[in-house]
Amino acid sequence: MKKRILSVVLSMAMVMPILAGCGATKAEVATTEATEATATEEAPEAEEAETAEVATEEKAPVTLKTVSMFGGTDPNAPIYEEINKNFMAENAYITVEDNSQVSDEEWKATVAADFSVGNEPDVLQFFTDATANTIIATDKFVTMDEIKAEYPEYAKDTLDAAMAAVTNTDGVSRAVPTTGYWEGLYCNKDLFDQYGLELPTDWASLTEAISVFNENDIIPIACSLNNVPHYWIEFLMLYAAGEEGYKTVPETAPQDWVTGLNTFKTLRDLGAFPEDTDTVDDAYVGQLFKDKKAAMQLDGSWYLGGVTETDNTVVIPFPGIENQKAATGALVGGMSSGFYITKKAWEDPDKRDAAVKFVMAHTNKESVQKYWNGNGQAACAVDPIDGMSPLALSGLDYSSKATSISAPTDSRIDPEAYKVIVAGIVKVSTGELSAEDLLNEALKINAARK
Amino acid sequence: MLYKKKSPLLIFLVPGMVFLFLFMYFPFLENIKNSFYDMTSIVRMPGSEWNYLGFENYKKLFSDQDLKVAILNSLKMMFLTVVFEVGIGFVLAVMVMNIKKGQQIFRTVFFFPIVISATAIGLLFKLFYNFDGGMLNQILLSLGVEKVNWLNPELAFLMVSIPTLWSYVGFYFVILLTGLSDISDDIYEAAEIDGCSKLGQVGYITIPLMKSVIATCITLAVTGALKIFDLPWVIVPNGAPQGVTHFLGTYMYQVTFGMNNYDYGSVLAITIVILGVLVSKLVRLITREN
Repeated sequence: MKKRILSVVLSMAMVMPILAGCGATKAEVATTEATEATATEEAPEAEEAETAEVATEEKAPVTLKTVSMFGGTDPNAPIYEEINKNFMAENAYITVEDNSQVSDEEWKATVAADFSVGNEPDVLQFFTDATANTIIATDKFVTMDEIKAEYPEYAKDTLDAAMAAVTNTDGVSRAVPTTGYWEGLYCNKDLFDQYGLELPTDWASLTEAISVFNENDIIPIACSLNNVPHYWIEFLMLYAAGEEGYKTVPETAPQDWVTGLNTFKTLRDLGAFPEDTDTVDDAYVGQLFKDKKAAMQLDGSWYLGGVTETDNTVVIPFPGIENQKAATGALVGGMSSGFYITKKAWEDPDKRDAAVKFVMAHTNKESVQKYWNGNGQAACAVDPIDGMSPLALSGLDYSSKATSISAPTDSRIDPEAYKVIVAGIVKVSTGELSAEDLLNEALKINAARK
Repeated sequence: MLYKKKSPLLIFLVPGMVFLFLFMYFPFLENIKNSFYDMTSIVRMPGSEWNYLGFENYKKLFSDQDLKVAILNSLKMMFLTVVFEVGIGFVLAVMVMNIKKGQQIFRTVFFFPIVISATAIGLLFKLFYNFDGGMLNQILLSLGVEKVNWLNPELAFLMVSIPTLWSYVGFYFVILLTGLSDISDDIYEAAEIDGCSKLGQVGYITIPLMKSVIATCITLAVTGALKIFDLPWVIVPNGAPQGVTHFLGTYMYQVTFGMNNYDYGSVLAITIVILGVLVSKLVRLITREN
C-alpha cells in the first residue's frame, strides 16, 4: 500500500510541474499585474486614492508584445531599444515585451508560425513587399485607413511617397516606415589610386580594374557567391534588362535576365571574385574589403556604418555591363518595411491606444532622424546632419543623383522562387547550370503561387 | 510487490510516450501529409490554401542530382566512420588498455574533442582552411609555397571529413575501452603462458569477445553518419563548393530553410528516416552473432 501511495506521489510530482507550466490563466496574470500595479501606487490620503483610482481606470497597466527586425547585431537595434526605453519612461503604465531579432529566414519562419497559431504580437515591424504576403493573407493587420479614422495624427510625419512605397502587394496600406535603403558599389579609392586606376564608370573600366587588381594580388570584387550574391543578381539583371524589363515579372526567362545572370560567368572567368567565393560567407568577404584586401564590394546602405576607414572608401554607381539597357546611375533600393498593428491589439480597448502610441514613438520625425542618421532614405523630412564622414557624404551623393530607383526582384516574386535563383548562382557562374534553366525553374514556381 | 503489479509502471511510461507522440511521431505523420502538398509557408496560414501535388515531390527524388551527391557523400561518410572512427577508436583503446601508467591521461585527451561543440570545431577548421589568412596557407607562405584553396571542389570532401572523423574518435574509444575492461585478465594471462603474441591476443581474444560492443559502435557510427549536419554546415554551408559536399542532413536543411521548399524538404526528411531504418537493419544483419 505504501509503495502504491509512493508511486502515485511520484507520478504527481512528475506531472504537476509540466501542467503547472501551462496553467497560468489570464485571470492569474491579471491578478499578478494588478497586485504589482497596486504595490507601486501610493495613495496615503483618501482624495488622492480616489484620483489614483480614476487614473488607474483610465490607464490600466498594459503589456505590449512587440516584434521587430531591429534586434541582435542589427545597426538599428540600439536606437530601437533606446526609443523603447524612453517610451516606457514616458508611459509608465505600458510595459513593452519585445522579442526582436535580426531578420533571417529562421526569424521570418517564426513570425509566420506565430501568426498561424494565433500567437501574433501586438505590434510587428516587418517587410511590406512579397515577403509579407503569407502573413498578410491571415488578415490579422489593421489598415492605415482604419487607424487614421480614429487617430488622425497617426503617421503624420511620414511622407506620402514613403507611405506609398510600403503599400502591401495587395494595394492596401498597413505599415508605417522609418527608413529605406539603397545598394551601391563600395570602392577602396586608395587601392585604385595606388595602381593608377580610375574608379570604374562602365564595363570597360570595370574589366580593366579587375585585370590590374588580379595582377597585383588584390581581390577585385569581394563577393560570396555561395552566401550573398543577391546584390550582383539585382544589378546585373537591372542593367541587362533596363528598369522596365527588370520590374516586369514574366512567366518564362526573358533573354535580358539570362544575359544579366550569364555575366556572373564572365566575371568569374575574369577572376573578379575571391578564389574561395564558393565557400566563404558574406561577413568574411566584407572583412576582406575593409582590410583593403579587396577593391570593390556591392552592398547596401546598411553596410556603410560598419566601414571604419571612411576617408578612402567611396560609394559609386554600378559601372554597368556590355550593351546595358538601364541608364547610368540606376540603382536598386527603396522602402520595404514598416510598423504594423495587429487586430489582436486593435480590438483590445487597453492595447489599442498603447499600440498606436508605440508606433508613433518609432515613426515620428525625431525617431526617423535617429534611424536614418544620414544613411539610406528617410521616411520623414529629416534635417541634414553635421559632421558626416566622407563615406557617408559619398553615399548621400550617390543616392541623391540616382537616375532611377528600382525595388529588388525579391519584392516582386515569391520568396521560394527567389531562393531558387540565389541557390543556383554558383552553378551558373561555373557554367554547370544555364541561367535560362535556373530562371525558368524560379519563374515556374512564382507563376504557380499567383 | 511493486514489480508484481505492473500497472503503476504505466504511470511512469505514459508521460514519455505522450511526449514522444506529440513531438516526434505526430510531426512525422504531419510531415508525410505535407509532402503531398505545395507548401507556401512552413505552417498553413489561416486564409491560405496549399495545392495538392500528389507524388510530384517523390518523382523529383529520382532526377535530383544534388540528392544523388548527398546520398553518395553520406554513404562514403558511413564507410569512413566505420573505418576511421571505430577503427582508430579500437586501436587506441587496445593500446591504452595495455599501458600500465598514464591511462587516465590518454582517456581524457582522446575524449576531449567530444566535449567541444561541433560548431566550434567547424569554425576552428574553417579558420585553418581559409584561403586568405588561414592557418594552413600562412604556414605554406612562410615556407615559400603558393597558397592552396583547401576547399576547392576536389579537396572539399576530404577537408570536411578530417574534422568530422577526428572529433568522434574519442566517443568510440571510450565505449570500446569500457568493453575491453570487461574482458578478464586471466584469459590474456593464459594466452601469454601459451605463447600467444600481443597481436595474436587481439585477434583471438579481444575481437571475438568484443563483437557485440563493436557491432553497437558500427551501428551508432553508420546511423550517425546519416545525421551529420553541424560540422559540414559550418565549414561548407549549402554544400559548398558547388554542391559537392552535400550530405543528407545539410541538403534537407538547405532545401527546407535555405530555399523555402518545405514540401520537398519533407520528402527528403522521410527519405533520411527510411534510409536510416534500412541501413541500421542491414548493419544488424551483418553484425549479428551466429
